[in-house]
Amino acid sequence: MLGRRDFLRALGLSGVGVLAGSALRAARAWAKAADAAPELIVRNTWPEHWETTIEALGRAYYTANSRFFVRSHFPVPEVDAAAWRLEVSGLVERPLSLSLVELKKLPQVDTVHTLECAGNGRGLYHLPSTAGTQWERGAVGNARWAGPLLSTLLDRARVKPEARYVWFEAADRAPLPDVPPFLRSIPLEKASADTLLALRMNGDALPRLHGAPARIVVPGWYGMASTKWVTRVRLEATPSDNHWIARGYRYVYPGEDATKAAPVETIRPKSLITRPLEGCEVHGSRIRVEGFAWAGPSGVKLVEISADDGATWLPARLESDATGTAWRQWSYDLPLGRPETVHLVARATDGSGESQPAEARANASGYANNSMHRVSFRVD
Amino acid sequence: MWTRRAWAALLLASLAAAAAWSAGDASVARREVYPPEFPAGDGKALADRYCQICHSASLATQQAKDSTGWEKTLAQMEKWGIRPTPAEHDSLRRYLLSHFGPRAR
Repeated sequence: MLGRRDFLRALGLSGVGVLAGSALRAARAWAKAADAAPELIVRNTWPEHWETTIEALGRAYYTANSRFFVRSHFPVPEVDAAAWRLEVSGLVERPLSLSLVELKKLPQVDTVHTLECAGNGRGLYHLPSTAGTQWERGAVGNARWAGPLLSTLLDRARVKPEARYVWFEAADRAPLPDVPPFLRSIPLEKASADTLLALRMNGDALPRLHGAPARIVVPGWYGMASTKWVTRVRLEATPSDNHWIARGYRYVYPGEDATKAAPVETIRPKSLITRPLEGCEVHGSRIRVEGFAWAGPSGVKLVEISADDGATWLPARLESDATGTAWRQWSYDLPLGRPETVHLVARATDGSGESQPAEARANASGYANNSMHRVSFRVD
Repeated sequence: MWTRRAWAALLLASLAAAAAWSAGDASVARREVYPPEFPAGDGKALADRYCQICHSASLATQQAKDSTGWEKTLAQMEKWGIRPTPAEHDSLRRYLLSHFGPRAR
């Protein structure tokens, strides 16, 4: 048996004292920030499941790294960037093993993409019984991602004709050895098109929480495909049978066969009203309604708002250009009566003509909730 | 007195919590939205011991599941390596269901 004293001694011997020291320093900084309006909502302490508040998202087109949502399956791994190498193996003529320095010497692209967690909005589904983190609206962010295109690596490795899928292996592991590692595979066609090996985020070296030293970014796909802490890119003839591919991340609708459920892949069109905020009070005869809209690979074609709960729709002005799969900033100058309570709704339509539903159909795991965003505010 | 395994689990949990606490930019205001600890009750010690090997309590305290849902979760976690006795399994399921049962939605 191990007593409390032994435990405390173990804490000291195992170096937790050092960790505790840094945690105390962090706690002081955190306490200092405690009076400020929250910018991150902690939905799980560890592994980190942190959501950005709508107010913080609304401040800028690019979501700051320190405020970008975080979703990790397992504890953040300690990766020594100097010793780390990326392997490209499997169905290739010439396997590669590249250091971070070598990767930085390859041609780099710098593109803007929005990442959204597949579970964003899970907590807003009307489900009496639900599993998983109860994200609301802020498991999404927009950033500049820089690094070599995956196609650069695939060309150098000379992919064999029988390869059809690209598997991404990563450094993170669960504390229990029987938990399957987090692994994703995507079709070779998507990997060769615009998929990126990101080394930088918003101009800085990729932060540890976001996958340092390198992560995959699969534009237009939900975030689970954009593997963090990537260590190996494997070319295979079939998709992976890993738990997270074969059983996790599937749209299982009530009464349907779970074994035939479609995989969660591309992002559904969605919009977010960042101004005004829910429940606020507004003065004056007009308000500039603002927000962001994003979608999968076909991009955002249209954003509309309604100030009468969906009876009539007004096209919003798209402020930012269509860039990669970046979200688009939109606005609408709305005249106001007074006094009144306004019920605003926003809806996005993507390039394929798919529009947001008023209420998305709930699936068992609560994925891809792209129900329209509604905000009520008071005019005085 | 706790078993060596329970203390080891708590040690792992402390390491992970300390790492998480110091991760990211501490000057960014954060807000916890779910109970960070399991509530008191029969089964709390089991939840502390088994659930927090891999994640903080808040991942469970934000859930709402019926008996089938919690049974499914426990079966998954047992497949992945936690080893409660049959009596502990039943006690844990009852505890989770009584505190984190289905929502009235």
